[in-house]
Amino acid sequence: MRQGESVLQRRISLTELLDVESFTEVVKGFVDLYKVGIKVFDEKGGKLADIKVGNGDFCGYVFSFPEGRRRCTATVGRVKDGPVALSHGARLPVLEVSDVPKAKGVVTVPCFTGLRYLILPIHWEGDSLGRVVFGPFFPDDLGDFPPASLKEISEGFDVANARRFVEKVRRAPEGTIARVLLHFSQLLQTLLFAGQKMFLTSQLHIEATLEQNRELEERNKKLEEVNTKLKELDRLKSAFLATVSHELRTPLTSIIGYSEMLTEGLAGPLNGEQVDYVRTIMEKGETLLKLITSILDISQIEAGRVRLTFEPMDPFDLVNSSVSSLRPQAQKKGVVLEARLPARPFQATGDRDRLRQVVTNLLTNAVKFTPKGGTVRVVLSDLAHQPDLNAQGYRIIVEDSGVGIPADQFDKIFQSFYQVDSSSTREFGGAGIGLAIVKSFVEGHGGVVRVASEVNRGSRFSVILPAIPSMQAQVSIAPPVTGTEAPADDRF
Amino acid sequence: MTLCGAIGPRISVTSASFGGTLLSVQLNHAQRELTVKIVYYGPGLSGKTTNLQMIHQRTQPDVRGRLLTVETHDDRTLFFDLLPVFFSTASGFKVKVKLFTVPGQVIHNATRRIVLQGADAVAFIADSRRSAGAENNSYWKNLNENMRENGLDPGQVPIVIQFNKRDLPDTRSDAELDEARKKGKEPIVGAIAIRGVGVLETLFAVLQSAYRSIEARAGLAKNVGLTEREFLTQVFKNIDTSGTELERLFPPKVKTP
Repeated sequence: MRQGESVLQRRISLTELLDVESFTEVVKGFVDLYKVGIKVFDEKGGKLADIKVGNGDFCGYVFSFPEGRRRCTATVGRVKDGPVALSHGARLPVLEVSDVPKAKGVVTVPCFTGLRYLILPIHWEGDSLGRVVFGPFFPDDLGDFPPASLKEISEGFDVANARRFVEKVRRAPEGTIARVLLHFSQLLQTLLFAGQKMFLTSQLHIEATLEQNRELEERNKKLEEVNTKLKELDRLKSAFLATVSHELRTPLTSIIGYSEMLTEGLAGPLNGEQVDYVRTIMEKGETLLKLITSILDISQIEAGRVRLTFEPMDPFDLVNSSVSSLRPQAQKKGVVLEARLPARPFQATGDRDRLRQVVTNLLTNAVKFTPKGGTVRVVLSDLAHQPDLNAQGYRIIVEDSGVGIPADQFDKIFQSFYQVDSSSTREFGGAGIGLAIVKSFVEGHGGVVRVASEVNRGSRFSVILPAIPSMQAQVSIAPPVTGTEAPADDRF
Repeated sequence: MTLCGAIGPRISVTSASFGGTLLSVQLNHAQRELTVKIVYYGPGLSGKTTNLQMIHQRTQPDVRGRLLTVETHDDRTLFFDLLPVFFSTASGFKVKVKLFTVPGQVIHNATRRIVLQGADAVAFIADSRRSAGAENNSYWKNLNENMRENGLDPGQVPIVIQFNKRDLPDTRSDAELDEARKKGKEPIVGAIAIRGVGVLETLFAVLQSAYRSIEARAGLAKNVGLTEREFLTQVFKNIDTSGTELERLFPPKVKTP
């Protein structure tokens, strides 16, 4: 939740709506034009503007007598802080008939000197935000000057002096001053409206920006939390796989070992059928061991625990040994396996065992996905400049005439545990990690894997390796992350 | 629930009986003042500002403020619109009804949430066209999310749905509106806001539900002597109801041109 209350929720004061400096200029203009003093107070009595004209000498003279000072202070207090209502000496103003409806709320407060004040409450959206005071002015309808209430303040009061000073005070009918006041009020309403618009929109702009900021921070925090959780899950998965693989391998090694001993007759002779059965146990055990080993490999790769050992090696040897290990399988399935090597042998640097696994995995896949009578071909290129790597290197290409891979699956096949056909009734077995291992080992050498394929025509995997891998080559595969959205709850 | 005002002691009514939800009624006993906040919510260009413009046009100037609108050059609300309506009750209690609209464009969600803060009731302005269904749903969801974000319980803040633009082609039929009625508890009002049809009826429904919700929590009739009848009459007696369904309930004094 956001802190603090929005500007839309609270009452706005007069000082927030008006720019005091420019408002004072407006008031000055009015005073200059109409020669009557104007004071503007907010609802707490704070002064926003106070422009005097003409009455300085007269009021100063009255103020010089103690009783004058007392009465003057009382009047000013009444005007400034008293109720804007018909009480405490205030009365309705004398108005022209046409102005009466517009002058709602205006009151007249007479001064003991005979001068007068007009007070207008500032209403804004049903609230009183303060008041405007016009005056003092010298009303036209005043009979005797000075009135008794002024003369009596002191025996030393000089009437001639007072008359001379009061000449400088604006003399006008009350109705005229009221009109000016109403005109001022209209202007003030416009200023307030403009001020409110400016104030609210600028404040809301700030609030919205802060709110957006808060929202983003919250979202970031959530993402960070999710990210941490995912990383932890990923780590747990790898740790789990490594443990499980290890725990599976140990008993399996025994199964294979003892089967082997049985077939070799170490526990006494077996008949032909028994030997066949035990061999089957051994073969299946080895298949299972291979599978577990590759699961262990991928989990270690993902846990970042695999280190490649680069040493000089012979790519010819690499290809040849992989081909010969796959030959029995190919023969059994009736698939032709060809190897094409360049005319001149060459040397390269790499992790021999891992690269053999790369070629073996690709060949295993190729044989697996190629039907009887098809061809699998492995081609080793010459050592040459490789534009893909921008370095000297070589290619190992494994082609088959198998089922092929749809183009939209090219990215996904390199993810661990991914199978193009993942249905339970699929035709081809395997855990879907061979290519993930290929990719990470090749990339660990600073190389790249390319795939080209056509469904039902065959596939071609090209492994492009540098002659000498850089030492900063990295091994890592990011696990795929998918999310699902909750179904919507519709009202319309 | 918070009760507040500018000056004077802040009186709070406990929220315990309302499941701990924050509901804000601005009721200031010291100043004898109640502020009711109504928010017009809904997708962009569904007619929220038009609703306020129509209410503004039909309301007597001495009980309402000016309509504050900040628009971009293409007439789209940038921040919000605000129309205040105010009156005093027979017992001298001051009541301010503040009608707000939120900006409809998706990007202004933060502003929408701020404007929604402390709403006493919401008028959801939906576009009746069938093609607008997805948009309506997404803003409905957005409203609920933003309420929760603001600490308002969507189940506690009354909402009135206005199906606007009933005159356009592809609009939902009356039967379809009835279907929509059955889907939730919110009152549904059909409208053609641009011609003033359904605007005051929506206002009436939303004010009535706001009053009832505040009454349930703060006991307006008992504590400040403000009945539902007086609340609604004080507002609608100053609004030109001619040609609307409210005409018989609140006969217009003066017809606005």
